[in-house]
Amino acid sequence: MKTPPEDHDLLRWLDGEMSAAERERFDARLAADPALKAEAGMMQRLSADLRTHLPAELPVPYGDFFNSQIQRRLSQEQEQPAQVPAAAGWLGWLRLQWLAPLGLAAVVIAAGLTTLKQGAPAGGSDTYVHSIYVPNTAVHASTYHSMDAKATVLMLDGLEEMPADRKIVGFNITRGEMDEAVAATTLFDAEDNAVAVISKDARSQPVLLTSSPAR
Amino acid sequence: MPASTAPEPGEVPDIDLVKRCQAGDTRAFDVLVSRYKGRIYAMTYHMIQNETEAWDLSQEAFIKAWRALPSFKMDSAFYTWLYRITHNVVYDWLRKKKIQGDGEFDDSRTEHRIAAGAEAVPHGDQAPDTALKNAELGRRIQQAIAKLSPEHQQIILLREVEGLAYEEIAAAIPCSLGTVMSRLFYARKKLQELLKDCYENAA
Repeated sequence: MKTPPEDHDLLRWLDGEMSAAERERFDARLAADPALKAEAGMMQRLSADLRTHLPAELPVPYGDFFNSQIQRRLSQEQEQPAQVPAAAGWLGWLRLQWLAPLGLAAVVIAAGLTTLKQGAPAGGSDTYVHSIYVPNTAVHASTYHSMDAKATVLMLDGLEEMPADRKIVGFNITRGEMDEAVAATTLFDAEDNAVAVISKDARSQPVLLTSSPAR
Repeated sequence: MPASTAPEPGEVPDIDLVKRCQAGDTRAFDVLVSRYKGRIYAMTYHMIQNETEAWDLSQEAFIKAWRALPSFKMDSAFYTWLYRITHNVVYDWLRKKKIQGDGEFDDSRTEHRIAAGAEAVPHGDQAPDTALKNAELGRRIQQAIAKLSPEHQQIILLREVEGLAYEEIAAAIPCSLGTVMSRLFYARKKLQELLKDCYENAA
């Protein structure tokens, strides 16, 4: 779509794209043409308002997380093929801090987090996710820990849509007891209640055998 | 800040960071992300006006840029190149939304049915103070931008928000200088129509 040359002149004047001589000539035209001058004035006000109300830069929400997510994805792309959790990670389950038994029903997705206490005092909150095991290979799990917020965000990509009435329960696991006779480990919460029993499948991957009812 | 602005004193120039990225240095890319994420996020947000989607799409733009970096020949400023990728990401997203027909990007948003001189919204009472008037104008501007076609959004944002010169815009889109001027002219005309009552009231 073409625009007339005189409109191009107005644009170039407005945007400072004219030479000094061109600008001088156009200023003379403006002085002689009140309609053009009014049009130019409105365009100028519009430009000024756009610059005022549409900042060129905005603070990115969770800016540090934004960077760390990109770095995480770059790392994933550089690691080919994607790593499968090693059986050695099984030992970490004994220190399981948090477990979301998401897949007990139709969703059939379970995620377990292995966390490592780093010298936290009793009752302290300085816990970090050390490794993640996700039985469902279609689901990708990642975490972001904010020191300032003293919080860890768990992200699960690829989950199936979850029914609105589905209850999701998290357990804070403080210890685990392994029964070698049955090759199963019982996990206990902070009040020493047994909340889940896990074992290993034929590929030495953790399997959730049972868990306490949702509370 | 135009795309061709020199780096601040003490800042590693983009070109050096790009070379390190091309050698596989993800930390160098992290510096570029930190340097430009605010601008990329702002540009994306202005186009789709949804914080969460803008955040995700900005991420996607940076990831695509990383993948494409080996083929970046540095024949334009890094930001101009990054902007082009971002625009494509956002434009694809808008097209998919349109195809899905969820109403967030329908024909009424892209077709130019605004009659010359038509009011976009009825006249309302003036806000009692300047701050409120400014806030209202800001809201109206956001709404007007959302009603533009992606091409017109892009040209307005590149010129008015990013402050790019015509030649830089032509390189970023990419298109001819004539197309830049033509699109800019009609985009401004549409905004004028959409915001006519604001300026009539202010006159």
